[in-house]
Amino acid sequence: MAKNPERRDLFSGALELMILHSLRLKPMHGYALAQHIKQVSDDLLKIEEGSLYPALQRMLKEGCLESEAGISAKGRPTRIYRVTDAGMRRLEQDVSSFEKMFAGITRVLAVAQA
Amino acid sequence: MQWFRQLFSRGRRYDDLSVSINEHLEEKIDELMEEGMSREHAERAARREFGNVALVEERSREIWQWPAIESVWADVRFALRQLIKSPVFTLTAVVTLSLGIAVNATMFSMVSAFLMPRLPGRDAGSMVVISGVNPNRGFQPDTNPVSAPNYLAWRTDNKVFAKMAAADEFRTASLAGRGQPEAIQYAAVSPNYFGAFGTFSQLGRTFAAGEDQPGRDHVAILSHGLWERRFGSDRSVVGRTVRLNREDYVVVGVMPAEFSLLGFTPQLWTPLTLTAADQTAAARKDRSLYLFARLVPGVTLEQARAEMATLAQQAEKDFPETEKRWGVTAKTLPDFLVYSFGIRSALAVIMTTVSFILLIACANVAGLLLTRAAGRQKEMAVRASLGASRVRIVRQLLTEGLVIALLGCGVGLLLTYAGIHLLRANLTFNDAISAVPLRLDSNVLMFAVCVSLVCAILSSLAPALRTSRIEINADLRSEGRAATAGRSHSRLRAVLVGGEFAMALFLLIGCSLLVRGIYLLERQKLGFRPDHILTAGVALDQARYSESSQQIAFVRSLVSRLQQIPGVEDAAIASSLPSSGFGTVPIRIKGEPELPASQQRVASNVVITTDYLRVAGVPLLRGRAFTEADDVNAPRVVLVNQEFAHRYFPDRDPLGKQIRVDSKDRVPAWSEIVGVVSDVKSYSEETRVDPEVYQAFLQRPVSYFSIMLRSNVEPDSLVPALRQAVAGLDVELPLLRVMSMEGVIDTQKNGNPVFTRMLGIFSFLALLLAAIGIYGLVAYSVGQRTHEIGIRLALGAKGSDISWMILKEGLKIAAIGSSIGLVMALPLPKLFGSIFTGLSVSAPELYPIVLAAMLLVAILATFGPARRAMHIDPTAALRIE
Repeated sequence: MAKNPERRDLFSGALELMILHSLRLKPMHGYALAQHIKQVSDDLLKIEEGSLYPALQRMLKEGCLESEAGISAKGRPTRIYRVTDAGMRRLEQDVSSFEKMFAGITRVLAVAQA
Repeated sequence: MQWFRQLFSRGRRYDDLSVSINEHLEEKIDELMEEGMSREHAERAARREFGNVALVEERSREIWQWPAIESVWADVRFALRQLIKSPVFTLTAVVTLSLGIAVNATMFSMVSAFLMPRLPGRDAGSMVVISGVNPNRGFQPDTNPVSAPNYLAWRTDNKVFAKMAAADEFRTASLAGRGQPEAIQYAAVSPNYFGAFGTFSQLGRTFAAGEDQPGRDHVAILSHGLWERRFGSDRSVVGRTVRLNREDYVVVGVMPAEFSLLGFTPQLWTPLTLTAADQTAAARKDRSLYLFARLVPGVTLEQARAEMATLAQQAEKDFPETEKRWGVTAKTLPDFLVYSFGIRSALAVIMTTVSFILLIACANVAGLLLTRAAGRQKEMAVRASLGASRVRIVRQLLTEGLVIALLGCGVGLLLTYAGIHLLRANLTFNDAISAVPLRLDSNVLMFAVCVSLVCAILSSLAPALRTSRIEINADLRSEGRAATAGRSHSRLRAVLVGGEFAMALFLLIGCSLLVRGIYLLERQKLGFRPDHILTAGVALDQARYSESSQQIAFVRSLVSRLQQIPGVEDAAIASSLPSSGFGTVPIRIKGEPELPASQQRVASNVVITTDYLRVAGVPLLRGRAFTEADDVNAPRVVLVNQEFAHRYFPDRDPLGKQIRVDSKDRVPAWSEIVGVVSDVKSYSEETRVDPEVYQAFLQRPVSYFSIMLRSNVEPDSLVPALRQAVAGLDVELPLLRVMSMEGVIDTQKNGNPVFTRMLGIFSFLALLLAAIGIYGLVAYSVGQRTHEIGIRLALGAKGSDISWMILKEGLKIAAIGSSIGLVMALPLPKLFGSIFTGLSVSAPELYPIVLAAMLLVAILATFGPARRAMHIDPTAALRIE
């Protein structure tokens, strides 16, 4: 039995958050996006590259992203993903709720250490 | 309309996705090759990093789909492709299921028609029927009609019913004028009867208030059937006059065909006239009214029952003599009609039987699916290794089952349509039954679809679960030779086929017990000679024959006229025909102390004319028969049957003893037993013989009787002469049910022949399906074991050893299954005995016979494959890889 491909070693919503954040800086195609997340996180976040694509499709459907035909760095046709206005709003909401969560978690951990 | 746009942009989305993923992989490969990997290694590494490409793509696509529907649709298409690829399998499975479904749906049309009757008017649920309850009345003690005084009292005293109508549903009248007089069944109803149901007439009007008053009450409403049959659907019939019971009635309306109540088949309605005579204490004994009432909104059935119970208690207190032990109850209209129609238990037996056939059919299809699944083990392993989850595979296989079941449902519905037509043509054995139309209605349709869904689950769940238990490595590695996967499939199949045999045997024993019981009835000696007798019913009306002297005069001249008809050997009349059911009366024997009510002696009671014994062919055993001298002025005499003598005079001579027949409507008189006659079965469809007393017509005339003509020609040829003879005495007197005695007995069979044929067909189907099941199993197992058999033959096994081995395998399963069925069937006689009273259903000798028959069928079904195994060519078999 194949392992569940939707398995994420991340908080739920974390992958979407990172995708939105990365694409806000610069529209990218899939491979570039995967590379970007890997490099920026200093390889700390190991994601199965494939799991990017269902997430991308989900966000396309929700209207957070849009895609257009483009050319990759190697000159082959690909699709470039870009954040929409709705995507920007979603990102802001997600960031603030993540911050609250992290703050909460940090406090709990601090108490445990004392 | 976003989903709509999505539907069209989806193709582009899928392309985009593929392009992205492709580029992703290509770029990764490029990068890895730049690091110095070979293309081959780089590709492998890139894919490893990416994960399962096909699965990722599929998951990503699913985002754009209504996942449930779309993947089901994909499954359905796949299933259809698979089924088209193996037409023999598909045909077998579909035909098997369609037979099961068709039999069930056809029988269900009876359930739909008889147990869910279409009722006239509006809101039948708030209509109730009020009926009398008396625990002493054996059959359906809570559906008795009520008396007029009670109706009149309850109508005014109750606070729970908005309207209460009364109907005397089973009256007989002569309808004359235009053509020969005929006897019809009609109902006398209170004027608010039709209004209470909320129904309207098709032509003219229903009764108006006040038309139940004498003088205004000579109005009639025709049923749709009578209007069509006797009046040729003539619209101008309204306002015309018809002769009913020798009086003129004005037709005021015609009811639509939809106005029919299950079990009640009046052809005409007149107003119910209640006079002062109907309010006396004596009128309380005449219980003939059904009360139909509509609940006041907000009042529950329980409240209505409680109220009626209180009123009944009041009546019991006020009139203890007549109302003692009489209670009252209320049922909703549909409940009452279905309950009093009394077809529920027969339908329950039929539905149980056909559901067994369905189970057998499902087991067969499950077996077929298992066989196929074994062949597809590898396909499943490939699917699993490509990332299909177990749920996904189970779903795929269930979908296949569903597609087969729905195809079966389609074919089954066509068969059902034909089946219902056939059934309708056969279900005409009495008015009440043929009045109910059997249809392929929405109930039947829904039922067929639900049954198909159940079939799909029953037949494909086990194979699906079994098949989806996949050991990828083992399954992929196994080549055709290893029979391991097939083995455990075969075991499951063996269980299925064993189950089929158990069910088939159970069903076969059940059916043969009933068929034997019915057959015995058909063949039983009734105790008289029913051939060459023409019968006709006569009801002398009060208008012309109220005095017993008038009745005697009529019968005397009638009999002498009948005897002169050429071809008639003898003519007689009897208050009821032999073996057609008798009224029972209490009997007292002179010299015996009065017995308590529970031990009271009773006997069937028939009034006959002098030649009756000769006409009916009932032998006189001792003493003498009646003569013309046994008239009103002579001492009262009676004849008794053997059973009477045996039971009430066990060691005495009954001749010369005095007995008293205490019928309700006569002053009892002591009579001398002058003769003993041979026993006649009380009812042609039961094995019972009751004590019986014959009284002489001249001493005890009756107004309702049957004419019996013993002829030396075909009885039906005497009908015109009979009619002429009666018309010569009274032109307006109708004859009821003119038919031969054999015809009377035929109608009394009341559907038994149809029932027998049905059971026969069911048993045959069950047997056939079980045979197909075991054939399939053994044939498949021979196919699977070709290799093994080849080895055995090559090592010197004889052909006969091989076929014996195969035969034994089939027989073992059949024997185990049948034994289980045998045990299951042990309590059947007791069960049937309680459902079908009067039928002899105990026949232990049938069990081994049916068992042997089953095993014989199993041998025959196994024989073919076993022979084939014997003739397997070892060299060819070993080469099969």
